[in-house]
Amino acid sequence: MSAIAPNFKLSEFIKSLLDNIFWIILIVVLIGLPAIMMILFVIEMPVIDGELLTPFLALTWLADPSRILPVVKAFMATDIFRVMAFPGFGFAALLAAGTIFVERKMMAKLQLRVGPFYCGKVEGILQLMGDGLKLISKEIIIPAKADKPIFWAAPVLFVATAAAFVAFIPVAPGWVVADVELGLLGVFAVIGFFPIITILSAWSANSKFPFIGGIRALFQMVSFEIPLILSLLGVVMLTGSLNLSEIAASQSSFPWIVFLPVGAIVFFITMLAELERIPFDLPEAESEIVAGWLTELSGMMYGLVQLGTYLKLYAFAGLFVVLFLGGWNGPMVVPPFPAELLEKGIEMGPITAGPFPGLPLFTQEMLNGALWFVLKTVTVIFFIILPRGVFPRIRVDMLLNLGWTKLIGLAFVNIFIALGLLYAGVLGPGGLQ
Amino acid sequence: MVGELAGNYSTVVLMFGFAMAAMAPALVISRMISPRKKSNPVKFLPMECGQVPTGEGRTHFMMQYYPYILMFVVFDVMAIFLYAWGSVLLEVPKIATLPMLGFLAIMFGAMAFALYQSGRRRIW
Repeated sequence: MSAIAPNFKLSEFIKSLLDNIFWIILIVVLIGLPAIMMILFVIEMPVIDGELLTPFLALTWLADPSRILPVVKAFMATDIFRVMAFPGFGFAALLAAGTIFVERKMMAKLQLRVGPFYCGKVEGILQLMGDGLKLISKEIIIPAKADKPIFWAAPVLFVATAAAFVAFIPVAPGWVVADVELGLLGVFAVIGFFPIITILSAWSANSKFPFIGGIRALFQMVSFEIPLILSLLGVVMLTGSLNLSEIAASQSSFPWIVFLPVGAIVFFITMLAELERIPFDLPEAESEIVAGWLTELSGMMYGLVQLGTYLKLYAFAGLFVVLFLGGWNGPMVVPPFPAELLEKGIEMGPITAGPFPGLPLFTQEMLNGALWFVLKTVTVIFFIILPRGVFPRIRVDMLLNLGWTKLIGLAFVNIFIALGLLYAGVLGPGGLQ
Repeated sequence: MVGELAGNYSTVVLMFGFAMAAMAPALVISRMISPRKKSNPVKFLPMECGQVPTGEGRTHFMMQYYPYILMFVVFDVMAIFLYAWGSVLLEVPKIATLPMLGFLAIMFGAMAFALYQSGRRRIW
């Protein structure tokens, strides 16, 4: 069984737990409370509405929804909330963590890897936590001749660039971190930084396998960036806008994948290549060049690169949803907010809670949009991680040939389909929509 | 005007900075709680599958695929130029598409020639 603590005894564990709790309570009572009293004795508390603001009164106000709800709403309207929590980093990191978990479980089912089934007794639900603890408690080894500042900075820069990519993705109407006029060009600009960070990390490690992996990442970027850019031109031509929110809003009647399936397929293939996933995982081909450009990264540095990879995966899946699958558009399935909660409050037997006038923190449209966006994104993520269990890897020359001849050709076919739809009058002014 | 346009992108920079500020402590915490032992003389050498590494880490690399990088420099710019045309396509008259098709024809010719030349391995 477990080799970590062979002399484990439950009674001693509970005893040590109770010991710790006892000492914490003792220290808080003897040192913490007197310290707070002394501070309160020195500070002069303000008088609000004729009442002296005592700590008891302040805590009472914190529990009063009519006072705290406007504060929460005002905070939710700030850029800080958007960057940290909802359409930004927290939301994306949550989805990324979910993706890692689901991918491990799915690979376990597909390829009979039995490990992820056992961690945490019930179907391995503690696998993700186990992975995280393992990565953060491992020693970070820097190769002797490495360029240390760049080598340390590369994983952090990778995560930060992936987060900057996430900033462009609109999740619900009006809920986007950076609502910029040239959003799609901004996305291209951010995508262009990933191979640079890969090359920097590979070069600074001063080792052979990362260097080969970095060169391969460069070739992969070179052959797939142009089809990626060209495959999205059809959508821009039909929409007449580069703003991602406007592109998502323009698909209220039908998603663009109905008219531009060729562009969607090309974008999906280039997306797999940009994400370095099988069958295009040449930069980290583990059966050829150890782990490619990740070979010298150890411990939490590797963990950060993994987090960045999955943030990037979420962002690419979100971009696919926004451009081709209609973004947040979908039938209204979220029920409206109960009106009696605003007027009368909750009355359940002895429990009453007063009316909450400011309560619907999120509107119905926003909840519905976010729900449809997440559903579509999760579906796209599923189709991105599925090839990993099925396909072999392709060679470098096949990769270049595929990117430069077939995908660019198909991307131009897509552009001419869009032009034909416009000039035949099917779409655009006077056509459908 | 220009400053306002650039100011819209400040949230992207904010996101970049927040991710850095939130994730860099993970490296510091990991460095603090993980063991650090200097037990083995080859521990800090580059990974070479168990062998003692020989030669330089930054080796020569093949120029076999260099023409593709040259092509990328040209055609990436072309792809971005096409966006300037595509995003205003609904507003310009239809006759304005003809010079664009001429541009595309020239670019197709150039790309076919470059692909043919990059296939001739012995000149690279």
